[in-house]
Amino acid sequence: MKSRLLNVLALVTLLAIPVLAHHSFTMFDTTKQITITGTVTSFEWTNPHSYIEIDVPDEGGAVKHWSIEMGSPSILQQSGWKFSSLKKGDKTTLVINPLKTGLAGGFLNTATLPTGKVLGNGPGRGPAK
Amino acid sequence: MKTILCAVLAVATLLPAQSTKTPDLTGVWAPFSGGRGGGGDPKIAPPPAGQLVLKPEYAKPYEARRAAEAEATKRGEQLATAGAQCIPYGVPTMMAVASYPVEFIQNANQVTIISEAFSEVRRVYLDQPQAALDDVAPGYYGRSAGKWDGDTLVVDTIGIKPTVNGYRGMPHSEKMHITERIKLITPDVLHDQITIEDPVVLEKPMVYTLAYRRMPDYEMVEFVCDNNREYVDEKGVVRMKIKDK
Repeated sequence: MKSRLLNVLALVTLLAIPVLAHHSFTMFDTTKQITITGTVTSFEWTNPHSYIEIDVPDEGGAVKHWSIEMGSPSILQQSGWKFSSLKKGDKTTLVINPLKTGLAGGFLNTATLPTGKVLGNGPGRGPAK
Repeated sequence: MKTILCAVLAVATLLPAQSTKTPDLTGVWAPFSGGRGGGGDPKIAPPPAGQLVLKPEYAKPYEARRAAEAEATKRGEQLATAGAQCIPYGVPTMMAVASYPVEFIQNANQVTIISEAFSEVRRVYLDQPQAALDDVAPGYYGRSAGKWDGDTLVVDTIGIKPTVNGYRGMPHSEKMHITERIKLITPDVLHDQITIEDPVVLEKPMVYTLAYRRMPDYEMVEFVCDNNREYVDEKGVVRMKIKDK
């Protein structure tokens, strides 16, 4: 009986496991969105994730650096991104889910490019192309 | 009359050729599940997965791991996984990694399957006998021998090493044996019915079906995991490295 219970539990849990390519979004606070505006220091079109590195000045002029994780190039291109969508020196505004640890990192929701175009972070995550 | 006879003969000659024509699976395919991408059409949606029934000695640690993962999630953490460390998924998991496409390249002797996620490659040797288990070095892809059963490609795979996670993290032994029945449900919908047998770990075969939609004109994107910012800390939790400038 005990083993049967374990088997049933195995089935129930099995159905609840998300299938993700690399890692879950658990480390990000998806209940919270914050907006940061700053200057891109690098745009990394890489796997398993792409990244926007950005310097963000506060009201007093002090600069804080943020690392923003995105989907992979395969996922991003489905919402209109290209390897050249951002470059060092570009001004951009990002809406992100911050890291739960409070460190200066997060997961991209949307980015406003210098052209004014708003891009999401893959299908189902922000504006489509 | 002569014309009709000729026509009947022509059709009779054509029919066997059409019925034995081997399907061509060549192309890029995107996985979809019945509820999400399948549009709810029962004709093309994959049937529900069967029940995973582990032998008690394997069910217990499997459940303990699942419970630990659930607890970590409640704390806002993720326990280390192979994928988070950019370790390939292997067979059969590579056949459906999130929404990443898989490409089939088919010729008379071989079907090559490439998964976009992690650029994983497996080769199915057609009409070749399967090797003895002792002759296959355990690895991520093992050895796959395939043959056509009418319109269905039947693929037999052995030699997956136990450290390569099975279906959704299930444990398995070196004796795991996978049988896939791959078939075009429509010209643009493909099903892969996967049966996992393991006399050491499973009480009964685990059966599930993956479904794919054809992606015409899609060009596969390279995926080299050379910028993995996720790392595993001393507590076995996945963390993201952030840069200070």
